[in-house]
Amino acid sequence: MLAVFVPTLGAFVLPLMASAPRLRNALAFVFVLAALVGSLALVPTVLSGRTVDVRLNLPLGLNFVLHADGLAVFMAIVSSLLSTIIVLFSTGYIRHYDYQNEYYLMVVLFLGAMMGLVYAGNLILLYVFWEITAIASWRLIGFFREKQHVIRADKAFLVTVFGALAMLLGFVGVYVQTGSFDLEAIRTTLKAAPLGTLAVVLILAGILSKSATLPFHTWLPDAGVAPSPVTALLHAAVLVKIGVYVFARLFIVTFTITPECHTAILWVAAASALVSAGAAMIDTDLKRIIAYSTVSQIAFIFLGLASGTVIGIAGGLLYILMHGIAKGGLFLCAGIVEQNTHTKDIRQLGGLLKTMPITAIAFLFCALSVMGVPPFGGFFSKYMVLSGAVESGQWWIALVFVVGAFMTIVYLLRLFNMIFLGDLKKEAKEGSPVMVACVAVLAVLALVSGILISPSAEFARTAVQQMLGTGQ
Amino acid sequence: MNESILLIPVLLPLIAGLAVLAIRGPVRLAREVVTLVVMLANLGLAIYLFGQDLTFVHPWAGVWGGIAMEMALRVYQFSGFILLAVAGFSLLVALYSWKFMADRSYGNQYYGYMLISVAMVNGAVMADHLVVLLFFWEGLLLTLMGMIAIGTKDAWKTAIKAFIIVGVTDVCLMMGIALTGWLAHTLRMSEIAAHPLSLAGLGSVAMIFMTIGAISKAGSMPFHSWIPDAAIDAPLPFMAFLPASLEKLLGIYLLGRITLNLFALTTESWVSTLLMIIGAVTILLAVAMALVQKDYKRLLSYHAISQVGYMILGIGTALPVGIIGGLFHMINHAMYKSCLFLSGGAVEKQAGTTDLARLGGLASKMPITFTCFIVAAAAISGVPPFNGFFSKELVYDGALERHWIFYAAALLGSFLTAASFLKLGHAAYLGKRDPANEGVKEAPMAMLLPMIVIAAGCVLFGVYNPLPLHYLIQPILGEHRLEGHDFAGLPANWMLVAATVLVLAAALVNHLVGVKRSGSGLGAADHIHHAPVLSTIYDWAARRFFDPYDIGMAIVRGLSLFLWGIDRFIDWIYDSFIVTLTTGLGWTVRLAHTGNYSLYIVWSLVGAAAIIAFLMRIL
Repeated sequence: MLAVFVPTLGAFVLPLMASAPRLRNALAFVFVLAALVGSLALVPTVLSGRTVDVRLNLPLGLNFVLHADGLAVFMAIVSSLLSTIIVLFSTGYIRHYDYQNEYYLMVVLFLGAMMGLVYAGNLILLYVFWEITAIASWRLIGFFREKQHVIRADKAFLVTVFGALAMLLGFVGVYVQTGSFDLEAIRTTLKAAPLGTLAVVLILAGILSKSATLPFHTWLPDAGVAPSPVTALLHAAVLVKIGVYVFARLFIVTFTITPECHTAILWVAAASALVSAGAAMIDTDLKRIIAYSTVSQIAFIFLGLASGTVIGIAGGLLYILMHGIAKGGLFLCAGIVEQNTHTKDIRQLGGLLKTMPITAIAFLFCALSVMGVPPFGGFFSKYMVLSGAVESGQWWIALVFVVGAFMTIVYLLRLFNMIFLGDLKKEAKEGSPVMVACVAVLAVLALVSGILISPSAEFARTAVQQMLGTGQ
Repeated sequence: MNESILLIPVLLPLIAGLAVLAIRGPVRLAREVVTLVVMLANLGLAIYLFGQDLTFVHPWAGVWGGIAMEMALRVYQFSGFILLAVAGFSLLVALYSWKFMADRSYGNQYYGYMLISVAMVNGAVMADHLVVLLFFWEGLLLTLMGMIAIGTKDAWKTAIKAFIIVGVTDVCLMMGIALTGWLAHTLRMSEIAAHPLSLAGLGSVAMIFMTIGAISKAGSMPFHSWIPDAAIDAPLPFMAFLPASLEKLLGIYLLGRITLNLFALTTESWVSTLLMIIGAVTILLAVAMALVQKDYKRLLSYHAISQVGYMILGIGTALPVGIIGGLFHMINHAMYKSCLFLSGGAVEKQAGTTDLARLGGLASKMPITFTCFIVAAAAISGVPPFNGFFSKELVYDGALERHWIFYAAALLGSFLTAASFLKLGHAAYLGKRDPANEGVKEAPMAMLLPMIVIAAGCVLFGVYNPLPLHYLIQPILGEHRLEGHDFAGLPANWMLVAATVLVLAAALVNHLVGVKRSGSGLGAADHIHHAPVLSTIYDWAARRFFDPYDIGMAIVRGLSLFLWGIDRFIDWIYDSFIVTLTTGLGWTVRLAHTGNYSLYIVWSLVGAAAIIAFLMRIL
């Protein structure tokens, strides 16, 4: 449980180190790394099919439960791995700006809360960590303190917090029906009868707003005003995946819901995939396009998870991993481009392949992975999600997603084309070595995760077996 | 017998390709030598594997709901044959490139991509698992894009166009595979082949999706429009290598597997009719475009599209004679079309241009190239006794048995094919020589040899057609499907042969008339080009009104604008509507707060009354 406490508490130590920036940066890195190591240490246990619980009973019938199963560990590894790389990237990126103390505090706190959320074993704990991430992201989006930025940050905060309040009401509904906030207890109770529709809708509102899914998605492109490592962290690796994770945790593992709700979720996801893909095609702001693309890809994850088939759920989990790596890489590349050209308008960019070759190739690799081109990792997750959708018998919904996949190919190539090919419109040099190294690592990861698919596929399989309760 | 030998045709070129990509600096011949040695080894391996039946299975991406994702490779008659053909063409093109690419930059990328392409094609051909097939199949996208992009300065535009077209159809293939796997409860092709899926209901949907992937790779309409652009932009051997041979082999191979092994395609099925329509339309439209081209390479590229039509038409008939004809045409086309592209490359290398207006009279300067050209051109036009004649006759036979209209379309296509090659040969090799081309010499041996070998093959496969038919193609269908027929030897239906000869003669007459009217070989098709109605349509085509890619992109853009509008509307709700609503509400409530004490008392009493009323109701 090292993974939860080290970053959460450690985050508050960081500002004390303001006088020694190097030490502070190193500590931030170590805290995040601790989360990764702590989660990795759980892998053997989980692979052998067991789970780990930490239980602390509090007065008033509440309890503090941390619970690590395959799903939790998988999610924790993905987010802490990406966070590690992103913190490393930050040391190169954020150097030029003020308020670094705040930055590191918030980033590390964010990750700690994320870890807490992932391992949370009851609904109240989950809600608390959920809100901590909202506060941290609110501060990070408004990081540059311009008026417009702060308004955007408020928007993101308000949308997600209203969603979260709806979710809390939903949790109350769950409590009314089952008499417990403890996930294990709820799971046992709900086996008999599905959860009431009102509670489902309320909780979904929270999840969809956090995961930036239609109709709660527009805060995400607006949040692109944040510093690039932040957008990468928020959008790709962690924040939007919170909603997806909680969806998997609650709706697949814990609750039983009616088939109509499943179908409704699929339709919402389908609409979300298409609308945001269309927006990505039209927009001209580099980071907004990538953000819309995230919205669109998140819908693919929902498709896999909501399909209810083994291959679809596993595909959804792998998608979280592959998309996290690739989209994180895209955002970091965008960060390099933005920092060195001082513009985010793709109409003013072009020909950067010549001056920033490594960034360009890394961008291409990550884009290919998002498109689902083999041998990149995205290929497997995309196929499995699609296959899961088909197997669930909803092949016409899969068709909508095929259209979404077309558009993904088109808008990502358009983006690559506008930024890196053609005539050089704005002179720019390559980013700093540590930043370039980070995007290169992500690009290579995107490739390697596809070529060596077996380990992650095996892990996803174990996780799904635990989730569905068939493996033990 | 160790089955893991099947990994070598994938791993060897792949590793060599990556190594070549890494070679930099002055080691000039290293990459050429590595490429040739690996291609030779690959050919040797293909020969060794041919005729064997081996299966390699290794766990790969887990087992999902009873369907295993395994790395399953299999060599048997069909895949062994394609493997052999791929190895042969790759070796010849690599040899050809030795001289052709000698003074170009990006040599390491060119050879690297080439080797990796071979690895991907080998993998896709040997794949026995549909996801493995898709894996290698889509992997080709990268090298395809790379090989086009290293061409001329603006080649990346074409590369992106190709990537989008092929990438989108690959997603269709993915969908088809997912559906197929769901319907068949397995993804192993050899297991599905034991009980091919029925085309009732979803079966035909699955088949259509898979077919889109297959014919797009083969370059059929409407997924063709990157090929003529690539002919201009990409390095020429690329055209002979991927669009003319390897991708055709791969696409038609998959189409063959779909129709023979995966789905029970019958003549009654509407899918069969649809395939034949696609085939016929592709033949006619593409050859009509080829006829009016003024560039050697671009003209050939339209034929590379048109000829696919014959293969799809043949296989689409769902009759043994048509399928045999289609598959035979596949291998024949790969031969004569790569030979034609290579001859175009020789002309480009020696004369410095492929613009037909600046060529002419090269026959005496480049006699060997010219001879190879004649053989290949005769083969593509279906002149007896070359290979193209025999395969076309089989396709005709199948088409006629289904409906005369398909036969008529195919025959008209042959007329136009012959006409355009008469025009091309006349304009490039005969007629008046441009003064600038006085010093042109014959191409070097490394370029001639591949052409000679392939041209000889065209003659051999025609004159002695039992060789390919008995040993390569007929075993693919197997005895039970052939029902005792043997399609080798001379065509069975002499009426069809007579019609073919008549059409060829008409093409010759048409050519002579055209030359007489316009005064040059290049203008031989002008009377068709400028005919009433046709000239308008050609004009529109030249302005790219018909490019399915442009149309598709316009639709996507329109759709995107619409979706973006929805997105903006939702955003407006958050940014304006809710804000206005909230401030409006606050303003309304503020109106009530006047500071008037007696009013507040009234409010309080009303509120208290409401609470009491509520409590009384629930109690």
